[in-house]
Amino acid sequence: MLILGIETATIQVGCAIGGHEGVLASFHAAKGRRHVETLVPAIEFMCRQATIELSEISAIAVDVGPGLFSGLRVGVAAAKALSHALRIPTIGISSLDLLAFPVRYTNRLIVPAIDARRGELFYSMYRQVPGGAQRLVPYQVGTPDDLASELLARGEDCLVVGDGAMRYPAILTEVSGAEGGDATSAFPSAASLVELAHPQALREEFVQPWELEPLYLRKSDAEINWTAAMDRAT
Amino acid sequence: MIRAATTSVEDTRALAAEVAGLAAPGDLIVLAGDLGTGKTAFAQGFAKGLGVEEAVTSPAFILVRSYEGRLPLVHLDVYRLETMQELVDLGIAELLDDGAVTLIEWGDAVAPGLPADFLEVRLEAKEGADDRLLSIRTVGPGWPPRARALKEAVAKWSI
Repeated sequence: MLILGIETATIQVGCAIGGHEGVLASFHAAKGRRHVETLVPAIEFMCRQATIELSEISAIAVDVGPGLFSGLRVGVAAAKALSHALRIPTIGISSLDLLAFPVRYTNRLIVPAIDARRGELFYSMYRQVPGGAQRLVPYQVGTPDDLASELLARGEDCLVVGDGAMRYPAILTEVSGAEGGDATSAFPSAASLVELAHPQALREEFVQPWELEPLYLRKSDAEINWTAAMDRAT
Repeated sequence: MIRAATTSVEDTRALAAEVAGLAAPGDLIVLAGDLGTGKTAFAQGFAKGLGVEEAVTSPAFILVRSYEGRLPLVHLDVYRLETMQELVDLGIAELLDDGAVTLIEWGDAVAPGLPADFLEVRLEAKEGADDRLLSIRTVGPGWPPRARALKEAVAKWSI
């Protein structure tokens, strides 16, 4: 079984392909922010170099965020389109799970944090368990101070990964016992996506493409106050 | 508050181009005013002032357009939106945090969802068919340091 992974939750755009034999090929570009222009040619290039036909792919895995809207829209739309066209199911996995996965062998509390812009972070917390990393708290959106306070309250050694730690290095200096902020662990990887999706695919934990939704943590129920004075034709 | 009068669409564009000369990365400009008062004309002049060569058209139906000038320019129109969630879904947070200058038509309607740091340009129709009154005010800390330069930039039209 081959899985195509699509990852566009941050400024990075990536794709990977793999299955029983692990990750067979991957592509990542963290410069340029041209998700639309890059993603589909990257998938095509990767498949051609790995001599894999799209018809050999059994499932599409996609990073559903939280992350940057401009990227997520591209990845989720591409995943839906490929899923419909190839008549194969999809698997949605969170960007924060993907950040925690490669560092799962640490004994520290794993804290992925993605730069949510406007002074906020998307973050969560994980702990090593046999076979992976288990999420301890919900996916959250908050300021770097919010995260630093939560980490201080926990008072344990932690490893902060993701571009959030690079943008707000103060988290690492303010919280004693915190480490991380490396460029190598800054972005979710499409290879991790394929690795995490594989056991889910074996258990047939799929979602239908029309059920696939990006994970938007910022919510607003407010109606826009279009006043009569604004003379808006409805 | 600066009040300025323009007498033609071209005049409104010229004023906007002068304002654009003061724009800095991350700036937000809120365009307010009824239909047909020249919000898009202002955006066109502003874009030209930023060195955008591409033609700027109303983003009313596609919601967001991006242009490359001296600074990147993002032009939004929220006229078609019903809820603040749609503004969030447009990725407003990342649009405003990308070093671009952002112009929002009908931005006054969604002010609660915007950072309290912007330049508001309100356009009103006056007696003559193409006469416009522009009221320019600063909200938040970003523009007051440029208030004097702004006043000088639009002095030609001030009333």
